[in-house]
Amino acid sequence: MSLRVLNPNAEVLNKSAALHMNINAAKGLQDVLKTNLGPKGTIKMLVGGAGDLKLTKDGNTLLKEMQIQNPTAIMIARTAVAQDDTSGDGTTSTVLFIGELMKQSERCIDEGTHPRFLVDGFDVAKRATLEFLEKFKTPVVIGDEPDRDTLKMIARTTLRTKLYEGLADQLTDIVVNAVLCIRRPEEPIDLFMVEIMHMRHKFDVDTRLVEGLVLDHGSRHPDMKRRAENCYILTCNVSLEYEKSEINAGFFYSNAEQREKMVAAERRQVDERVKRIIELKNKVCAGGDKNFVVINQKGIDPPSLDLLARAGIIALRRAKRRNMERLVLACGGEAVNSVDDLTEDCLGWAGLVYEHVLGEEKYTFVENVKNPRSCTILIKGPNDHTIAQIKDAVRDGLRSVKNTVEDEAVVLGAGAFEVAAKKHLIDNVKKTVKGRAQLGVEAFADALLVIPKTLAENSGLDTQDVIVSLQNEHDRGLVVGLNHHSGEPIDPQMEGIFDNYSVKRQIINSGPIIASQLLLVDEVIRAGRNMRKPT
Amino acid sequence: MREVVTVQVGGFANFVGSHFWNFQDELLGLADDPGADPVFRNAALDMDALYRAGETQQGVATYCPRLVSVGSRGSLGSLSSSGTLGSSSAAAGHPNILTWSGNVTKSVAKPHDRNLFLQSLSEEEQNTSSSNDRSNAKKSVEDKDLVESLENGVKFWTDYSKVQYHPQSLYELYGSWTNFDKFDNYGTAREVVSEWSQMEELNERLRFFVEECDHIQGIQFIVDDSGGFSSVAAQYLENIADDYTNTPVLLYCVRDPVSHGSSRNQRETIIRTLHDAVSFSKLASSCNLMVPIGQPSLSYLSPLLSIKDEKYFYSSAIFAAAIHSLSVPFRLQHVGPSSELAHSSGNLDIGELMHMLSDQGRQNMVTALDVAMPAPSLTDRTDLRNIQRSLLCLTPEISDEDEDPYAVESLVFHGALGAGGQRASISQVKDTVCSALEGRATKPKFSHLSVSPCPLPVPLPFPSIFSSSIGQHGEILSNDHAEGTRRKGSLDVVSVPMAARLRSSNAIVPFIERRSTSLQRLGMARGALGSQVLRDWGFGREEVEDMGEHLAKMLRPFYPEMDLTSDSD
Ligand SMILES: Nc1ncnc2c1ncn2[C@@H]1O[C@H](COP(=O)(O)OP(=O)(O)OP(=O)(O)O)[C@@H](O)[C@H]1O
Ligand SMILES: [Mg+2]
Repeated sequence: MSLRVLNPNAEVLNKSAALHMNINAAKGLQDVLKTNLGPKGTIKMLVGGAGDLKLTKDGNTLLKEMQIQNPTAIMIARTAVAQDDTSGDGTTSTVLFIGELMKQSERCIDEGTHPRFLVDGFDVAKRATLEFLEKFKTPVVIGDEPDRDTLKMIARTTLRTKLYEGLADQLTDIVVNAVLCIRRPEEPIDLFMVEIMHMRHKFDVDTRLVEGLVLDHGSRHPDMKRRAENCYILTCNVSLEYEKSEINAGFFYSNAEQREKMVAAERRQVDERVKRIIELKNKVCAGGDKNFVVINQKGIDPPSLDLLARAGIIALRRAKRRNMERLVLACGGEAVNSVDDLTEDCLGWAGLVYEHVLGEEKYTFVENVKNPRSCTILIKGPNDHTIAQIKDAVRDGLRSVKNTVEDEAVVLGAGAFEVAAKKHLIDNVKKTVKGRAQLGVEAFADALLVIPKTLAENSGLDTQDVIVSLQNEHDRGLVVGLNHHSGEPIDPQMEGIFDNYSVKRQIINSGPIIASQLLLVDEVIRAGRNMRKPT
Repeated sequence: MREVVTVQVGGFANFVGSHFWNFQDELLGLADDPGADPVFRNAALDMDALYRAGETQQGVATYCPRLVSVGSRGSLGSLSSSGTLGSSSAAAGHPNILTWSGNVTKSVAKPHDRNLFLQSLSEEEQNTSSSNDRSNAKKSVEDKDLVESLENGVKFWTDYSKVQYHPQSLYELYGSWTNFDKFDNYGTAREVVSEWSQMEELNERLRFFVEECDHIQGIQFIVDDSGGFSSVAAQYLENIADDYTNTPVLLYCVRDPVSHGSSRNQRETIIRTLHDAVSFSKLASSCNLMVPIGQPSLSYLSPLLSIKDEKYFYSSAIFAAAIHSLSVPFRLQHVGPSSELAHSSGNLDIGELMHMLSDQGRQNMVTALDVAMPAPSLTDRTDLRNIQRSLLCLTPEISDEDEDPYAVESLVFHGALGAGGQRASISQVKDTVCSALEGRATKPKFSHLSVSPCPLPVPLPFPSIFSSSIGQHGEILSNDHAEGTRRKGSLDVVSVPMAARLRSSNAIVPFIERRSTSLQRLGMARGALGSQVLRDWGFGREEVEDMGEHLAKMLRPFYPEMDLTSDSD
């Protein structure tokens, strides 16, 4: 630090060294991720030190798996991961865009342009691109009955970038139906209400939507039914086990007799609670062919299970906290915290409840519910890494549908937007900017092309040919994207290739912010130093 | 039988846990072995308390620890997180990818080599069904090599583990770009803890084991609280307190001697001091009984032991032995209603232990741990003081004073030997301990004794930490029997009589006071040097004040005559 003050030249040197370090880090990260992009990207298989496998085609997952040390790379990675946290997609594109902005800037800087001009140009270009996006986007009418076809197209586009076509297409309906199941008009979509459950199953890759819930446990009593139809569902959070600690507090038994008494008293209380439940069961199920299922968040001990089993009730204990909420949304009724005022209104309903056993793992299906507002996507796969990868893809698919419903718009994909935006920047925006900031606008415009270029490259096509032919079409007023099989221009609208509006927006927003920070590295340092000075 | 679920969080906690489960595995083996000391069969501890029976999807029966172990990515060495020893085939072969038809690139981390011990373990596994007739002579040569390979090269806790873990048991935390090598204070875990899906996964792992329990007696939780893992554990404990409100949690905070190492500069000292205060306050607020373990040095702990401070493999062994001893009463068969006698033998579940120690004397839930390893033989009356003196304190920063009329303690004595080297009877142990108690100047208010004839078994992968004066059954040899100065290990010592004690007394005051004062001084006072550090860790002013108040409150039971308030100055 002191050296720099003494020698101004050293500062200049350091400044440019720091800048080039940033540029290289950004390019390095871009290189790692670029093969990921699009439906022709490469899947990555990571083998750990103990031979454990991880599969990913997702920028987000890959970044999190990487041992990144370089602070610049970490900063970019954080931005990209934040992108995924908010909109669920576009991680790879974000990293590529930042990398390319830095690469384009490097050329100008090497030719003597001060980073400041580039940053100014970025700023103009960014705002212009966002405005352009508003015009370019394709509105989607959502209303009470959203257009399933559009939702399917967006889900399919996303899923096909993560899974092979057959599997992706199988999942398309599932994710669309799942989101529509939990959606209430005028309310934000809470994807937590879609439970994602998995089963390990040799030789079987299969996923299905369960309108209802799948719990990863079963009843713990040999005499309880494993299958029941027409079920009342009691969702509760009530301790049905004898817990010594409750009565113990502040008291130590002075003799054996007293101990026995206390134990008996507490046991009676638990039995009392169980009896309340049985009473309700007898009332609502009287005479019919109806059944009764208790799903409890707290424990149920063997004596209580005995009582319940004898009354013909199926009971599950220690249900996941979040499933309490989901159960009520799936089956109706309410989650009760006490059995004092139990009425029929507290109960939910399911047409079918049954248990499925795989080795020591048990699953309970709560299905055939009325008007479900919560559902389960059940993934079957032969091993953990396959399941994990499908899970990631399902999450992406769900997010893309949710985004579309909330954005009420989509954007033409396959590079169409990027080529169109570039043309707009060069034709209309660049001339409105004075001086060298034009270089920044141009660099920004060129950087956008990293998306179609990389898509072409990953498809084994000649990038230059592809870009030229795409741009020609756009010059003729045709909005086209790239056919990843042939490299020919295609109409993304016709092919149903759409991206999320909010994802695009965020990429365009955050890319230049980070790139600017990295370019103005010297000023960042100086600002930091100034802040520390007064002490 | 009432079930115990065990949780281990953090690097050193898993080292301790690894030894702990090796003891259990050894007990299981000895109970079935007709050639072993019959005490292991006849006085067997109830292993179902700690283990669960299950089966694989292929229908093979399993018997695994009821355990959730949390470590950092990569800390499992050559063990895969599914609990099986990594098959090198996965890395070598081309597993077919069922989800993608396009290109694949593979990146393979350098596989961890398996040491001699693990190699022999998997060999043995393959040969279990086949003949058992390897000549003993040949075997002992091998064992020597195995022991030596462990003495020289334990890097991961899995390197010396002989236990089969359940696929739900081992969880590796990832922190995107968190450097686990520098995971050395409370603040470093922020990224890890804020990753919602990770904490959720931890909750789910625990729920898996708890759901199976018919009558869970409590959770035995071991945390390495020297760094970021105490923040992970604090979050975990908070969730546990929410989800299993009435399930008692017994918390062991373990530290290896190296983590006490000296700080390089003032800033580092401040960070360490604050870490100790914050992590203590946070951890104590969501458990029922806390036992801090870990002296800054163990090298001079006892002339009977020889522990190298810098080796996790060593220091974790004695802590694990002590924790094992304390867990004995949780697994003793219940013999009728407990007697009115204050020093009765017999079982004690976690809830009763916690209630006794924290509610019977003072309202204090931080206890000190003492251990005698090996416990002295019960010879004659003149040696009574021996028991008292042989108990070595493993809790740091406490006062030596042992004169608290409100003290409550729980002593476990197992595998005691009599004068002639034979096992002492239960009543003999009781009598001896009772009269030892009578001999004390200030008697504790309440003292509980649990006795089992079953000593600590010494499994093969146990470090050579015994001095030459320890005999085959853990007896202390008189000088003329001691053989040289060579350290002894699992090949020389088969089992060890043990005593361990938890003390709730004013001896712990300095430990709590130091943390309380440093939080006041460094974190709360005006212009405090550490307030920025606390902010960086994500604590707002109010939260810091809450922690300060909590610590002050923990001291109050020790000063009943004073109305100690947090802002007394
Ligand atoms: N069938 C297709 N043909 C051409 N381009 C496509 C097709 N489907 C998707 N794309 C394009 O692929 C890009 C998305 O690729 P991908 O999903 O792999 O990366 P990402 O969304 O940036 O990052 P990630 O999904 O890893 O978070 C978009 O630009 C999209 O327009
Ligand atoms: Mg994507």
